[in-house]
Amino acid sequence: MAVFNLKKREIECKIVYYGAGRCGKTTNLEYIFKAYKKRITGEMVSIDTAGDRTLFFDFLPMGLGKIKDCDVRVQLYTVPGQVQYGSTRKLVLRGVDGIVFVADSLEARRKKNMLSLKDLQINLKEYNISIFKIPLVLQYNKRDLAEEGIPLMPINRMEKDLNGQLKVPSFSASAINGDGVGVTLKECLKLTLQSLHRELKWAK
Amino acid sequence: MGEINTTMKNNVVFSGNLDFLSLAEIFQLLGANTGCGVLRLISEYASEPAFVYFVKGNMINASNHSSTGLDALYSLFGWTEGTFEFSQEDVKIKKVINKNRMEIILDGLRMLDDGLIEKLGTGKFKKKLSEDISKTETELPIIKGPLVDYLYVVDEEDFVAGDKIIEEGKHGSWIWVILKGTVDIVKESSQGPVTISRIGEGAFLGSLDSLLTRNSKRSANAIAAGNVQLGVLDSQSLSREYSCMSHEFRDFVIILDKRLKEVTNKTIEIYNKDIELKHFINSGKTVIKQGESLEGLFIIKQGKASVVRHTKSGHVLLTQLDKGDFFGHLPFLDMGHEPYSASVFGSEDLEIKTVDSDNLRREYENLSTTFKNILENLANCIAATSVLACEFKKKTS
Repeated sequence: MAVFNLKKREIECKIVYYGAGRCGKTTNLEYIFKAYKKRITGEMVSIDTAGDRTLFFDFLPMGLGKIKDCDVRVQLYTVPGQVQYGSTRKLVLRGVDGIVFVADSLEARRKKNMLSLKDLQINLKEYNISIFKIPLVLQYNKRDLAEEGIPLMPINRMEKDLNGQLKVPSFSASAINGDGVGVTLKECLKLTLQSLHRELKWAK
Repeated sequence: MGEINTTMKNNVVFSGNLDFLSLAEIFQLLGANTGCGVLRLISEYASEPAFVYFVKGNMINASNHSSTGLDALYSLFGWTEGTFEFSQEDVKIKKVINKNRMEIILDGLRMLDDGLIEKLGTGKFKKKLSEDISKTETELPIIKGPLVDYLYVVDEEDFVAGDKIIEEGKHGSWIWVILKGTVDIVKESSQGPVTISRIGEGAFLGSLDSLLTRNSKRSANAIAAGNVQLGVLDSQSLSREYSCMSHEFRDFVIILDKRLKEVTNKTIEIYNKDIELKHFINSGKTVIKQGESLEGLFIIKQGKASVVRHTKSGHVLLTQLDKGDFFGHLPFLDMGHEPYSASVFGSEDLEIKTVDSDNLRREYENLSTTFKNILENLANCIAATSVLACEFKKKTS
């Protein structure tokens, strides 16, 4: 549900980074904020939520063209995973246009990833959104830790665990170094805008 | 602000219901729309409306009751029910809020979820008070009520240990019956919170005077002692039943409710050790002597009276009575006071009139089960709180 702001001739859409606590959602957004500073109009809002942080900022992606002669403005959010933050999650997920699901590659986090994805599906359902229909991209984060000898799950195992049914684009990443952060976001933006185009055609 | 109140009705451009569009969403919409004007919020759980002032889509000031600025703005995130009206106008009020809009929204919601902002009305304020309550070492008995009449239960709500169901001093008019679990009734004292009673299944939470006034204030905190399930009572049916009662019986209900509050306040005073008793007893005459068998019920036409219990550790003032209050023998309810378990001392100018307790009893017997249960529970709570008052007296003397 993108918002058309006729005063500013902008279409505002919302992309949410979802995933278990400490999986790297915040690291993704922090990297984007630094790397694309010129395209970011406002400041980054960071809220300390127990065990995690919630981030938000506005972003004007370049080279995406216009839709109906309107600029596209993207709002990027992370959402706190903890059950207690129901009100925050509700606000962030309402009217979401695209989702990046960040999975932690650590072997020890295998179950956490799966639970979080299930949780995402349930939360989306509350807004009558199907996880199979919304623009969604998976990111397998923390690949760099392999060099330090920390046991990671092989990509094909993660694909099977998380992407077996979804069959959405997926990327390996190391958000802390910025690897894979840009491609993940770009793919999610592409899918989101395609989906917006489709919706607008329907509306005609 | 008064001026704004009167002029705003004319240029309301956007209004609706908070349970459909939350405050966070309204802020976002007005922000995207770069709106200038005043947002007015009305909740039945607050005694007066609250205001948020916008310039170019940003919140610049707010007022809620006695607080203003950012504090007031954050407190409004707890208003999840009620209505809003946005009127477009020039805002001349001083800008005191400089925080980013989205930061306020996300931080406000976080504080709400963390239990730092009180959720108005629904009583889900999660301030972990229960940890410092154990100040009263006295093991309180759990007051249970009679079987619950589900005909009057319109909704169910669940709470976990430590949840603050009711907060002392806040406005609220719900009455609940406990379906499962135990709730601690806690009052603030000069020495910190004191648990004054523990109530269990079948007992009621909330005061009957909320049937009279919409703005009744909560007289104590109610905190879940474990997993608790409450049934929300159909207050419309209760109000309807109440309004059909005779004038005398309505007075009787209110006076009974008032007596529980009085006994509770006295108990806290005894706990605080700031009570001077001799004055009450010496300056008056004995009207009823503790233990005497007396049948009459009386109403005070003039003067004052005190209900006092004699214990081994001395006299304990349980409650003070004023013009319009009743005392004596109640044939259908036992609140553990006069004549068997307390004396009544009257002031020099005391004038009383006999009340026909048979009429009251007949009316009591024709009440709905729920109303009867509420009154019975009130009497039980009066009795139990009086026992606690005597315990405190024993400890302090």
